[in-house]
Amino acid sequence: MSLVNYATREITCKIVYYGPGRSGKTTNLHYVYGQVPDERKGKMVSLATQTDRTLFFDFLPLDLGTISGFTTRLQLYTVPGQVYYQATRKLVLQGADGVVFVADSQARQLDENIESLQDLHANLGNQGMDPRTVPLVLQYNKQDLPRDMIMSVDDLDEALNFRGVPRFAADALHGVGVFETLRGIAELVLKRLASPAEAGSR
Amino acid sequence: MISVAEPWVEAPLKRFVDDARVTFALLIYPSGQVLGQSGFARAVDVMSAAALAAGIHATVRELGRTLDGKGFRDVFHAGAKRRLYLAEATTPRGPCLLLTVFDEQSSLGLVQLYFEELRTALAHTKVPVPDAAPMLDENFEVELNRNLAMLFGRAPGRRNITPTS
Repeated sequence: MSLVNYATREITCKIVYYGPGRSGKTTNLHYVYGQVPDERKGKMVSLATQTDRTLFFDFLPLDLGTISGFTTRLQLYTVPGQVYYQATRKLVLQGADGVVFVADSQARQLDENIESLQDLHANLGNQGMDPRTVPLVLQYNKQDLPRDMIMSVDDLDEALNFRGVPRFAADALHGVGVFETLRGIAELVLKRLASPAEAGSR
Repeated sequence: MISVAEPWVEAPLKRFVDDARVTFALLIYPSGQVLGQSGFARAVDVMSAAALAAGIHATVRELGRTLDGKGFRDVFHAGAKRRLYLAEATTPRGPCLLLTVFDEQSSLGLVQLYFEELRTALAHTKVPVPDAAPMLDENFEVELNRNLAMLFGRAPGRRNITPTS
């Protein structure tokens, strides 16, 4: 649930980057961190193993500025993608306002993508969130790799995007598609705060 | 100075900070969303502390369940000069956590004593019904795009990439 303070006119939204291990979730946050001026971001917190694999989560707070008169802030989290960190993913997903699913476009990673997407749906359901209505965008990362290694956007749509949500081709390492992905999920999350149905449920 | 995201936590949180003489106090939901704080200068630093506190709480709770069959309700850590106390409370909106940091001006006993008062106050506080009116303008996307583009130092627009052959 987005946190809204009418008195000070502030909105805070929690966005979680989800996906299989090594799909590029942390890379997305690193790129965002590198792009945003210091006065508009907090420290990037990474709870990682010695080999820089995400152990608990990465966290990056962003000050988005004023939207409709509200100071708007985003809290970006990643989850650890490796299968055995299931319990941790559940914890990080608590209270999420929107989810970015970062898929690895490599053909050999298709099963991992599908398994992680199913895991996301199960975890959302376990927390009383409707997986069909939670704001979600897909990012097809690593689209810069050679064609014979990766699946096309259309093929990835066919395999993963059964909800028909916004999806973005990306090369997160070099920043391509990172901005568009963040804009896509921020738009979906904030749209809920502009619709009467969501406002009534707050 | 106290700043709050939910006005109904302001009075009890202020009383706790004054009485317990703590340096920092942060009241959050277990998801890491901030209810109110005292002692932090920047909002983005508050959010980082909240994310870490939520992580500590979640970890310790699960550790407690593993070792003891039930989750630990509070955590105390003594540093060289500052001490940290993290504990659960309940509000009409659901569970919340208090993270507080204190130095030699206070003590664990004092903090725990006044935390019990805070816990009682939060459990019985009256929470107003949220405003049911839509709050963002219908054309908020224009401002969102402008702000994000400024944040990234670029003009709004999409770039396509073509896989290499």
